[in-house]
Amino acid sequence: MEENRRKHRILMVSDFFYPNFGGVESHIYYLSQCLLKRGHKVVIMTHAYGNRIGVRYITNNLKVYYIPWRPFLMQNTLPTFYLTLPVTRTILIREKISIVHGHQAFSTLCHESLMHARTMGCKVVFTDHSLYGFADPGSIHMNKILQFTLADIDHAICVSHTSKENTVLRSGIKPETVFVVPNAVDTAMFTPASTQLGRDEVVIVVISRLVYRKGADLLVEVIPEVCRLFPNVRFIIGGDGPKRVRLEEMREKFSLQDRVEMLGAVPHSQVRSVLISGHIFLNSSLTEAFCIAILEAASCGLLTVSTRVGGVPEVLPEDMIVLAEPAPKDMVRAIQEAIDMLPNIDPQIMHSRMKTYYSWHDVAKRTEIVYDCAMNSSNKSILQRLPRYLICGAWAGKLFCLVMIINFILWRLLEFFQPAESIDEVPDMLSLCNYEDES
Amino acid sequence: METDNQGQPCQKWKKKAYGGIQPGYPDNHTDSTFLQEMITNANVVKRDLSKAILDSISISQYVSIVSLVVSIWTHTLNSKIDEHSLLKLDICLLALGFSVLLVTAPSFSLQLLVKYFLNISFFTSGLYVLAPVYHTLTRSISSDSIWALTVSLLVIHLFLHDYSGSTIRPPGALNNPKLTSNISLNASIVASVLIASRLPSRLHVFAIMLFSLQVFLFAPLVMFCVKKYSFRVHLGFSFVLVGVTLAITYQLHRLFFGTLLVLIVFISVICPYWLIRIQEYKFEINGPWDEAKLCFDISE
Repeated sequence: MEENRRKHRILMVSDFFYPNFGGVESHIYYLSQCLLKRGHKVVIMTHAYGNRIGVRYITNNLKVYYIPWRPFLMQNTLPTFYLTLPVTRTILIREKISIVHGHQAFSTLCHESLMHARTMGCKVVFTDHSLYGFADPGSIHMNKILQFTLADIDHAICVSHTSKENTVLRSGIKPETVFVVPNAVDTAMFTPASTQLGRDEVVIVVISRLVYRKGADLLVEVIPEVCRLFPNVRFIIGGDGPKRVRLEEMREKFSLQDRVEMLGAVPHSQVRSVLISGHIFLNSSLTEAFCIAILEAASCGLLTVSTRVGGVPEVLPEDMIVLAEPAPKDMVRAIQEAIDMLPNIDPQIMHSRMKTYYSWHDVAKRTEIVYDCAMNSSNKSILQRLPRYLICGAWAGKLFCLVMIINFILWRLLEFFQPAESIDEVPDMLSLCNYEDES
Repeated sequence: METDNQGQPCQKWKKKAYGGIQPGYPDNHTDSTFLQEMITNANVVKRDLSKAILDSISISQYVSIVSLVVSIWTHTLNSKIDEHSLLKLDICLLALGFSVLLVTAPSFSLQLLVKYFLNISFFTSGLYVLAPVYHTLTRSISSDSIWALTVSLLVIHLFLHDYSGSTIRPPGALNNPKLTSNISLNASIVASVLIASRLPSRLHVFAIMLFSLQVFLFAPLVMFCVKKYSFRVHLGFSFVLVGVTLAITYQLHRLFFGTLLVLIVFISVICPYWLIRIQEYKFEINGPWDEAKLCFDISE
């Protein structure tokens, strides 16, 4: 049964990749590594980071194309519509790509590459990692662009069921085309401490970017109240951001210097050592499609207290997480409940349960099923695909059709001036870890 | 309990992300509970045509105030009004505005009166000192550019004005002014300066600047206080103001009168009707994916 599995040739595209650190970046990296282990060919395309331009190879011969485009706003490349067509076409032909997998709705490079891949007849899969609203001007434009990209997609992947509902509403695609494949956590890297921490004092750990979206203002209200009610509780706050000033002010105002420790920005390699110094992990985000930080904390054996927003209720079973409404009173109530639950928590048992709940190999297997479904969908010519764009709106539909027609014409011109035969194809290299995963 | 062919019990589909793929259900399974928690049009206010028309009176009232200012400017530039009558007009307007503020204030306080009086005196003396500067500001620019610039600035001012309140709030009001209302205020001030710089003498400049700035800075505040005090007084006053403006512009310039009339009819009748018509397309979506709103104030 394993030998009959089809091997795919996948191009992962996103603006967000190493050397940037984040949820999307680690998702692409881990997923690519696990797909390589399963025998597929994976190549990644992203924009240049500083002096990092050209082709680089990272772990296990994973090839990354840092195309010579600089980011212009929040790690996004300048949207040029058609100027990325030559470089995308060259990469698709050189690597003989069959599926293009784009990540993150906010990435302009992803949308452009998916458009070019569709024009060239490749199969296309899109993964959405965030939740967006509907009402403010930024969201309205973003949703229209998403509607354009998803009008002609083979399949989409969302990281949680709430994210699937949000994506279906924003883009208007059929729910059956959306697969829910959650993120996972590297449980081998996030292991609990070898000796259990003492229980006489309770340490609550917070690691997040200190911005409005991650609920830093809730922390400012909750921490003094908790310190007042529970004399044996200590806080460790890791992370940096615009709201750090407010937290420092709160520390000064309530004289909590010995009970609240601010670590500043924590490098990714040291996150585990910060996590294992605590009993409880506090997450106060105002919106999350899927919170990987909670998984990392649970894998290290911490009990989680989180706000009930977005996809967070789906992430862990009820005995590993205490949920609260995003209001200070309810969060204090949840922290009290967590402190009462602490004696029954065994970090090693929690870690072994997390190993069965989440694994990147499982994510790769489920993503492979999506790729197989995508490859089974029929090839359509440009004339058969254009009606899918027309239904996007009275004015927008015609505009989208025009954009696709121009893209098709430009592609044909490129085929004439730079024929596909003149582009060298990359020979397949044997992967160093060529065995298949037995799980 | 349902069982499948092998006699194994089929588990119900759960909305969870952990535990890998759920047995018996593919990853793109869309459950019957899909979108169950979506709430549509929860906060939509049902609008009433008569109320919309009454509320649009504020906009027509402000448009007529600005037209009155433009008429005074035109008369002054054509030397039909001399500087002494302008100064008398300024003092009358000041006294009128002051008395309206005092009458409509919820509680009469001497401190408030003194504060307003001090602000006004600083303002007036500042203007008097700066009048020579404004007088020679645009001497090298041609008149056509000045008229064109003034008209565009006034259009921007009307377009971006905050009609629901006043950029300069009475003390104790909470809302911060938005960026657009600040831009509109600046546009009107620059337009006043441009017009003032075309006048013959310094006293002219001082008088017209005082008049324009009085109206642009304080008229919204006065109207806001009147509206808060009593809606019927506000309504009556607006009708009178619109009537007076139409009469004055009729004698001034026919085209200007025509444009003003069309604009007021458009704002008062056509726009409310249009608004009610397109309300039926409103589709507000709320659900568990929304960003949570903080229930407390973040005061920096």
